[in-house]
Amino acid sequence: MSDTMPIEEYLAEGGVLTSPDNAPPRYRAELLRLMASFVDSELAGSAGFADIINDAPGISERISAARIVMEKADHAQQVLKVMGTFGADTARYAAHHPWSARLARDTDIGAERRGGDMRLSVLHYPLQGWTDAVAMNALMGKAVVIQVKELAHVSYQPLAEIFRTILPREAQHADLGVEGLKRIVETEEGRRTARQAIAYWQPRVAASFGRAGSSRYEMLARLGLRHRPNEALLSEWQAAADTDLSALNLN
Amino acid sequence: MPRFHPLQVTEVRRDTRDAVVVTLQPSKDDRAAFAFTQGQYLTFRRMFDGEELRRSYSICTGLDEGVLKVGIKRVDGGWFSTWANKELGPGDTLEAMPPMGAFFTPLEPEKAKHYLGFAGGSGITPILSLIKTTLAREPKSQFTLVYANRHVSSIMFREELEDLKNLYLQRFAMLHVLESEAQDIDLFTGRLDAQKCAALFRGWIDVKSADAAFICGPEPMMLAVAAALREHGVRDDQIKFELFASSQPRRARRRAASAERSDRHATCEATVTLDGVTRSFTFPKHGQSLLEAAIENRMDAPFACKAGVCSTCRAKLLEGEVEMETNHALEDYEVRQGYVLTCQSHPLSDRIAVSYDE
Repeated sequence: MSDTMPIEEYLAEGGVLTSPDNAPPRYRAELLRLMASFVDSELAGSAGFADIINDAPGISERISAARIVMEKADHAQQVLKVMGTFGADTARYAAHHPWSARLARDTDIGAERRGGDMRLSVLHYPLQGWTDAVAMNALMGKAVVIQVKELAHVSYQPLAEIFRTILPREAQHADLGVEGLKRIVETEEGRRTARQAIAYWQPRVAASFGRAGSSRYEMLARLGLRHRPNEALLSEWQAAADTDLSALNLN
Repeated sequence: MPRFHPLQVTEVRRDTRDAVVVTLQPSKDDRAAFAFTQGQYLTFRRMFDGEELRRSYSICTGLDEGVLKVGIKRVDGGWFSTWANKELGPGDTLEAMPPMGAFFTPLEPEKAKHYLGFAGGSGITPILSLIKTTLAREPKSQFTLVYANRHVSSIMFREELEDLKNLYLQRFAMLHVLESEAQDIDLFTGRLDAQKCAALFRGWIDVKSADAAFICGPEPMMLAVAAALREHGVRDDQIKFELFASSQPRRARRRAASAERSDRHATCEATVTLDGVTRSFTFPKHGQSLLEAAIENRMDAPFACKAGVCSTCRAKLLEGEVEMETNHALEDYEVRQGYVLTCQSHPLSDRIAVSYDE
C-alpha cells in the first residue's frame, strides 16, 4: 500500500489533513484566511460585548454578557493557536487590530471586509444599549451556530476538532440571546425597542453569510474547506430566526 | 514558537529492509519538553547541501515504556529517510521540536472501550504507540488492528505486534492484509480498499461496537477506510486521521539565482504565478506592496492580516530581490529558502518572479 495520490485529489474526495506539513500552498493560504476570519470575528464580537456588560439590567444578565465576552475570546485563542502552528505570530496577532473599533451606526458596507481586518461585516456595526445587544446576539448567535456547524467539517482535522468542541458553547450564547429577548418583550416598551433592533440587525446578519453564487465557493469546496454554499446556510438561518421570532411574536 | 532541541541517538535498530527504529534521548533539561502523548510525532531538521530540511516521524513507543523511539521508513528519493536508514548511528545528535499532533483520544482507565486501528505500511508507527498505551492504561478496553502491507517482509514491528497479541490475548486482535502475498484466507489478500473494508466489516470486525477509529496510511487507503466506516454509522468525530506527508516535495527546490541587472528603474516588472497561472505586470517600487499590486492586477492572491503576522500571503521569490517592511511570521529558514510575505514586500530589483504555488 505505498500507492499515493495527489493531495488535491485526496482533498477533493473528502480526505483530511492533519499537520501544517501536509498542506499545499493554496490550501494553507485559504485555511489561514478562514481561521483569521473566525479569530477576528470572535475577538471583535467579544470586544463589542465587553462594553455591554455595564448596561445589563440585572446580575444574571451581567453574568451572561460577561460569559459571552470570556468564551468568545477563548474560542479565538484556540483557533489562533492553530494559526501559530503555521507560523503566525500569535501574541502580535491578538493585538494587531483595535477589536472594539466600530463604524458609525448608519454606514452601509454590505458584506465587505475592511483592509486586513477579517471580521465579518456585521461586527463592524456598533451596539446601542442592552436591548440592541441582546437582539443582535440572538440573531447573530444563530448565524454563528450555523457557520460553526459548517466549519466543524473542514478538512483540517485539528481545526475541525476545535469547532466541534466550541459548537455547544456558541449554541448556548445564541440561547442566552433568545432568553434575553424573552425577558425584554415582557413590557410593551421593551417589545417596541426589540422590534427596532431586529429590523436593524436582520439584514446585516444576513449579509454576513456572503454572496450567493460565490465564485470562491467551488475552490473552497474542492479543498474540503466548505461543504454547503452561502445561500444554503443563509436560508437555514432565515428559517431558524423566523421560528425564534415568531415564538416571541416579534416578526 | 516551538524550538529545536538536541536529541542523542542511543540506538538504531533495523526493523525491515527499508525501515529503522531510532531511540532518542533528550538532555536532562529537555526531558519535560519531550514528554509525549501516545500517537504524537517529532519534527526533525537537518542541513542537506546547505539547505534545511524538516521531516516529521511518529513516535512508536507507549507512554509506559519510559523511552522515546521513532520509526523511519525509507522513501524513494527521500533525503532525510535515506540518510537515517543508511548513515544515522548511535552517538549522533538529531535536532527535534517537542512532540506535536493530536492523533489520540483521552485515556479513561475506568471505561471499557473498543478501538479500531487501520494502518498502511509505516502508518503503523503512531498506531503502535496507541495500542501499547491504551491496552496498558485502559485495562477493560479492546483494540482491533487492521494492518495493510505489500509483503510479509515489509511488515514493520512484526515481532513486537506478535508479542502484544500474546500479552493481551483477549483484548488485542490483529488482521494482516497483504497486497501481493497469498494467505490462508482469501479475504486477507489484496488491497485495503472499500470492498475489502466492506467484507471485513461483514464478519470479522464489529464496527457498531467501536468507540473510535484511527487511520494512518497512504491517502487512497485513508479515504476508502473512512468512507466504509461512515457507511457503517461511524460519526466523523469518532474517526481520527494521521496523514503522512507522502505527497510533500521530497526536497526543497533551490532558489533560482538572482538576475543581475541595473536595478535603476522606479518600477518593477513582476511575474506572479498563482494556481498554475502566470501573469506579468509592472508596479511602482515604492508605495504599494507586492500583494496589493497582484490584487490590483486582478489576481486572487491570498491574504488576511496585511500586517506581516499571519503568513496567509506567503509566496516564494524565484527571481530578483524584495525587501520586507516587517516579518513576524516567517522563520529564518523559510526566508533563506526564498519565502516572502507579499503584504510586506517591496521590490528592490527591476524584475522579480514570485510564485504562490510553492
